[in-house]
Amino acid sequence: MEFPGKILIFMGMFGSGKTEIALNFAQSLSKAGQRVALADIDTISPYYRSRDLREAFGKDGIKIIAPAGKLAHADLPIISPEIFGYVENPEYRIVIDVGGNDDGAVVLSSLSRRLPAERCTTFYVLNPYRPFNDTIANAVSHVERLREKSRMRIDFLVNNSNIGPETTGKEILHGEDFIEEISKITTIPVAFTVVMNGVKALKGRYHEFRIVKYMKNPWEVENE
Amino acid sequence: MAEKVMVKGNEAMAEAAVRAGCRIYFGYPITPQSEFIEYMARRMPQIEGVFLQSESEVAAVNMVYGAACTGNRVMTSTSSPGFSLMQEGVSYIAGAMLPAVFVNVVRGGPGLGDIQPAQSDYFQATKGGAHGDYHLIVLAPGSIQESVDLMEDAFRMADEYRMPVLILADGMLGQMMEPVEFPEFVKLEGINDHSAWALRGATGREANKVTSFDIDPVNLEKMNIFIQEIYKRIKAKEVRYETIGLEDAEYMLVGYGTMGRILGSVVKLARSKGIKVGLFRPITLWPFPYAELKKAAEGVKTILTVEMSMGQMVEDVRLAVEGSVPVQFYGRTGGMVPTPDEVLAELLKHV
Repeated sequence: MEFPGKILIFMGMFGSGKTEIALNFAQSLSKAGQRVALADIDTISPYYRSRDLREAFGKDGIKIIAPAGKLAHADLPIISPEIFGYVENPEYRIVIDVGGNDDGAVVLSSLSRRLPAERCTTFYVLNPYRPFNDTIANAVSHVERLREKSRMRIDFLVNNSNIGPETTGKEILHGEDFIEEISKITTIPVAFTVVMNGVKALKGRYHEFRIVKYMKNPWEVENE
Repeated sequence: MAEKVMVKGNEAMAEAAVRAGCRIYFGYPITPQSEFIEYMARRMPQIEGVFLQSESEVAAVNMVYGAACTGNRVMTSTSSPGFSLMQEGVSYIAGAMLPAVFVNVVRGGPGLGDIQPAQSDYFQATKGGAHGDYHLIVLAPGSIQESVDLMEDAFRMADEYRMPVLILADGMLGQMMEPVEFPEFVKLEGINDHSAWALRGATGREANKVTSFDIDPVNLEKMNIFIQEIYKRIKAKEVRYETIGLEDAEYMLVGYGTMGRILGSVVKLARSKGIKVGLFRPITLWPFPYAELKKAAEGVKTILTVEMSMGQMVEDVRLAVEGSVPVQFYGRTGGMVPTPDEVLAELLKHV
């Protein structure tokens, strides 16, 4: 699964799964031998952010760009300027983990002038099992609104339909039907379907991107 | 059966409140609870409800006070420093005997603290955070589904006993995402007959009066005694808790909320090492399951209470067992969350 562009951006509505996918995407690029930096520009979520994995990912050679030191936990909209160094550095590919909803898209728009459009590939992540995303009309309006607010072109849709640990093929295939409709209306192609490891292989219509869960709760760590 | 959806705890509790018949919400945003108010801002207009963001938590609680005088289902949600600001209003609502539901998604304290999960507001929630002889019914869900299921109970109890009910969550419960099944919408008609006291227009009848004020000490004492009688009924009827693996347990863990869930993992870990451990998880923190905990502790060698605080509920655990079993404590605070391994290591010190 190859996508063009030095800068790979994951955006979408709140809680759609952008962070898990961005983390997994960074890992897959790194495993393919590329140098990867992941920029956490999520100023919306107070918990379950990619910056929480800065140390673990650092050991894998993946640089996570986020506010330094204790500022990482501040309830403040801080974007680390380090990100622009990596934009200019020809050795790196950058994965950008954007915050959810309109507020997250606005943060992305504030960077858009420094992110050359021809070097960006933007993915819009969608989970129809999330509140306010369960109808085609709602989902389309979110895509269009976030595209405007972020001032970015959206290159691909990503099907991340899931209900967490209880996800089966049924939910994922429902998501494929759902996102196909969104794709027809918006004329944005679908890049892939996200499938958590442990869920049986599907014969869906899109490429399967297998992921592991990084944002774990304390009780999940020990239960495996 | 309804289809499951994937929701954050804050969103789930908000939707559950809507389904429980809440059509009036006042609030002020604060991390890690803000998704609650954001959800209500989107949701209330869809169902012809009232959503109002107040200028502060002090205003929000007094709006709740005013709306509760009409006997309609009303609520607010906040996080620790915000709930402290609301305390005066909470006491007035308790004194005026009004139904209302509060949600506190607890974060690290004291003071401004931080925005990470904590359980350090237990004393405030259960022992009276404001002035006067009053209690809140305090419910502590351990999962998002349980927080949804308890919401309808919260409104039912608030109506039945005419008193404020608090759902005590922590930041983790508010922020994490899980699959949830929502109950059907309750029917709004005939949901609560408060015509005997509620302020809904007095045309053609004598005016009702709602107040927490009585200048006559004889009457004020009577009112307090009346409220205490209600508390006795609640203690007899509403106590809830969950136990895991206590049948043959030699050691008992006690924890509530998401900490109870972490302790569930500790039980599994310890049992895989051959240590017979069980869990007692109070779901009602007020009324606290004193008698039930004492009975559950019969025959255990040691109790280890674990909290995301420096030791608050542990005092109720000690009151419950009345010295019959040694009670140890382990806690992390300020937003730090104990891991199952960490708790197991602590437990092993007492085995």
